[in-house]
Amino acid sequence: MPDILSCYKWVVDEAYIRSGSGGALDLSMADYKISDYDKNAIEEAMLLSEKYHGSTAVITVGLPDDTKGVKDALSRGPEKAYFINDSSFADLDPEQTATLLAAAISTSISCDIIICGEGSSDLYAQQVGPRLAEKLGIPCLCYVQKVELDGSRLVAERKTDEGIEVVAVELPVLLTVVPDINTPRLPGLRDTLAAGKKPVVEFTADDLPPLNGAILKTTASKASSISRGGRIFGADAGGIGDLIQELKNSGVIA
Amino acid sequence: MAGVWILAEGLESGRELINIGQNLAKDIKSTLTVLTWQNDLSQELIAYGADEVLLLPELPDGQPLQAYIPVIVERTRLDQPEIFLFTATLLGKEIASRIAGQLGAGLGSECNGLRWIEEESALEMDRLFYGGAALQTVRCSKAPRMATISPRSFTPAARQEERTGNVIELPSPPASPVRVIERKARTQTAGDITVARVVVCVGRGFEKEADLDLARQLAKTLGGEIACTRPISQEMRWLPEDVCIGLSAKKVKPDLYIGLGISGQIQHLTGIRDARVIVAVNQDANAPIFAAADYGVTASLYDVVPRLLEALK
Repeated sequence: MPDILSCYKWVVDEAYIRSGSGGALDLSMADYKISDYDKNAIEEAMLLSEKYHGSTAVITVGLPDDTKGVKDALSRGPEKAYFINDSSFADLDPEQTATLLAAAISTSISCDIIICGEGSSDLYAQQVGPRLAEKLGIPCLCYVQKVELDGSRLVAERKTDEGIEVVAVELPVLLTVVPDINTPRLPGLRDTLAAGKKPVVEFTADDLPPLNGAILKTTASKASSISRGGRIFGADAGGIGDLIQELKNSGVIA
Repeated sequence: MAGVWILAEGLESGRELINIGQNLAKDIKSTLTVLTWQNDLSQELIAYGADEVLLLPELPDGQPLQAYIPVIVERTRLDQPEIFLFTATLLGKEIASRIAGQLGAGLGSECNGLRWIEEESALEMDRLFYGGAALQTVRCSKAPRMATISPRSFTPAARQEERTGNVIELPSPPASPVRVIERKARTQTAGDITVARVVVCVGRGFEKEADLDLARQLAKTLGGEIACTRPISQEMRWLPEDVCIGLSAKKVKPDLYIGLGISGQIQHLTGIRDARVIVAVNQDANAPIFAAADYGVTASLYDVVPRLLEALK
């Protein structure tokens, strides 16, 4: 009967990012979403709780306005949400986010398994999960693609640079999961309605120890463009011949 | 010796870190220390530029490499390096994040540019975010300034004769609570696309799995390897994940990349941005890949590939 907590981040949907004048990042059209990889984290918590009869909750750090994200997360199945929010919690660095999560979890939340996505779909620094495990002093398994429980023992398959490692560890544990682990369910209208009635526990800056300033300071961000000016060739035999000649001239084929 | 530290997982990736580390060590007028668990590489790492090697002792059976983290953290606290660099492999990214978490240190993830900012005593790092759609520059001025470096982003250090340096063995780590039950090596079903000179990449423009033979023939004719976009390996499962190109998959830098039936999502383009020449074949003239390509053909790959094969005969 494990208590399972999944972490998510409410992020700018990168599909809406435009390149403004002079390559500036234009987020004016941006909409928000639950970070893609965190949808897998929430889904894995649901699958494990259905299989092993556990409880599920989600936790996030954000701005007070990010309530739409809380409701979205709850519509994906979890019973309860922990919403760490303050107007000062904008653009936190991974160390700050992990510190806030650790403070809330260690004082107020009981959990046997914490699940994070492999990274966030905005910054993709892939740090909050592993940092959180260290701050809580619990074992950490990253890039997990399969999980099974045997009482208080968790057996996981994780991706490594060479292949796969099957590992075992006693609970509690923090996992970061890869997208292939599952296919997140799509919440229906009923799930969305039910989400509004689920309990949300809030933590504000006053409830938590004072937060240090960011160690990592962003000094510039701009749209990346890969523009090579693509010269178009015809699809007929002549055009293809010209293309091959061009490739030979540039020395990339013999 | 404090200065610049790097963790070398192997010689090839280690040489890249040594090159960057040596430059930074010059900037901060200090030395380069290389940590490794590869006992047999110690002298080689010195020959390539390490001033000192901190050797992590062999682990007992069933212990994962992450077991080294407490020993590295302890030594970092003791010696207080200014800068600490890792390769952005799965293992390197995890180890670096966990060390940073224990130390409360700043860490730049998957950086492709690094420089020392003298006035602020800061390490400035360049990286991609928003799935490759944007570039971010971050600074960290509190030691240890940490970074993971995208593999193959920098030139490897050259071997120098008659270099000397100390090899210091670090203590054995405490037993990790994580036990390795089994290791399964990835079965290499295809060539290594990250070192291939020519990469022929397939996308959703292919109607059925059997048609991939067209791409295979083209790759074979050009002496290259076949690769794919994420939907082809993850959704269709026509090709193994080993050959998937993208931000969260492989990044390639061949002399020639040919994209067949690929629209060019930014995540995919991020994986090919360092190719020397990019050729795109897609019947949709508005596909974003054409802007990223050097040469394009706006037609069905089913028409173009046979003509390419014919012309290359």
